Amino acid sequence: MRFRRYAIPLLALWLTGCAAQETTQPSLYTRLGGMPTLENVVENMLYRVADDPEVVVFFANTNIDHFAEAFATQLCDISDGPCQYDGPPMDRAHQHMGINDAHFNRVVEYLADALEDEGVPLAEQNELLGRLAPLHADIMRRQ
Amino acid sequence: MRISSPPTLTRRIATLAVVSALLFSGSALAGSRILGTGGVSAIEGAAGGGLSPWAVLTSTASEQEVGATASLSRAWLDDYRLTVKAASANLYDRVEMSVARQTLDLDTLGGELAQTIVGGKVRLFGDVLYHPWGIWSVGVQHKSVADDTIPKALGAKDGQGNDVYLSASKLWFGAVAGRNLLLNATLRNTDANQGGLLGFGGDNGGRQWVAEGSLGVFLTPQWVVGMEYRQKPDLLGAAEEDDWQSLYSAYFFNKHVSLTAAWLSLGDIAGLASQKGAYASLQVAF
Repeated sequence: MRFRRYAIPLLALWLTGCAAQETTQPSLYTRLGGMPTLENVVENMLYRVADDPEVVVFFANTNIDHFAEAFATQLCDISDGPCQYDGPPMDRAHQHMGINDAHFNRVVEYLADALEDEGVPLAEQNELLGRLAPLHADIMRRQ
Repeated sequence: MRISSPPTLTRRIATLAVVSALLFSGSALAGSRILGTGGVSAIEGAAGGGLSPWAVLTSTASEQEVGATASLSRAWLDDYRLTVKAASANLYDRVEMSVARQTLDLDTLGGELAQTIVGGKVRLFGDVLYHPWGIWSVGVQHKSVADDTIPKALGAKDGQGNDVYLSASKLWFGAVAGRNLLLNATLRNTDANQGGLLGFGGDNGGRQWVAEGSLGVFLTPQWVVGMEYRQKPDLLGAAEEDDWQSLYSAYFFNKHVSLTAAWLSLGDIAGLASQKGAYASLQVAF
């Protein structure tokens, strides 16, 4: 079991490279393009949802204008923008809807495609998706 | 003695599968998990990188779906050529089953070594993207060599053996220059020599725990590059062996087709020193 010399130092170098990169930069909200971009992203995503019969059923009793505004506000809030999301918590908002991982992943893909479509850079896409990922547990809690 | 290329019919079917997969990309046949979250086919058949299994389950099937993959991989080393044909299935993103046939052509020594690996993997809990602890799985691989003459001549105790492993994988969003970073760690209990191609056990001892790890950076949602490290036992006095490592690049054309290329450094194999070379692997998934 002879250990090779360079794998571990290389790994360490790679990981410290990430840490060293932390500098003061504008908020994610600003880098995303602010509210105009977020509103476009939400609208773009909802067109994709509307075209998917398996997902659009979850919006059957939803006021879409109200939803779009609330979701844009939530994205603004979670990306450190000047908004306060005061809608229902994620577990209550989605309870007993019968959402499974397949539905969840589809909407994630529509959001990612919408971010790409609206010209959001990949780094900001990843950061926003990373902040949304923990919501999975809440959304799936009461299905 | 050497069986080199697959029969024409097999090749034709494989071509057809790839072409139809490219044509039908994005159709309802695909699993709903996010692109790339099924990894590629590792050389032992399980979903993973090239050399080491990951905790993720093969294909992109979610909890209410089933999926399947087939792959063809080849490594061109200094004195050997490895060919792996593998297939795997994912049942409801809970259970993965796989089978792989490895053939090692002994270009310099003459002849070939072959083994069949039947594997199972169960997702214990978690999700590579959404769970704070990532995804955790346990797996088993039953390996049997086609002919144990050479392994036993080198001092191996057995022509078949079982590996068991615990694996964890997690994606860190935007961790490297805004790109997503995938980390995998696997702990394996094994007595396999050169992954099993040189038999199991030997004059230098028996089963032991070895560690394997890999990292990958998604340069784009479709393209991941990274490295792998796989610690190995060293049980044969007559044929010392080294840990394996690779630098890899995997490209996901869509949820159905991925192509992996790698540079391998596998150390000494069966008495021939410092084996290095290129690796390529094509996977189709449904």
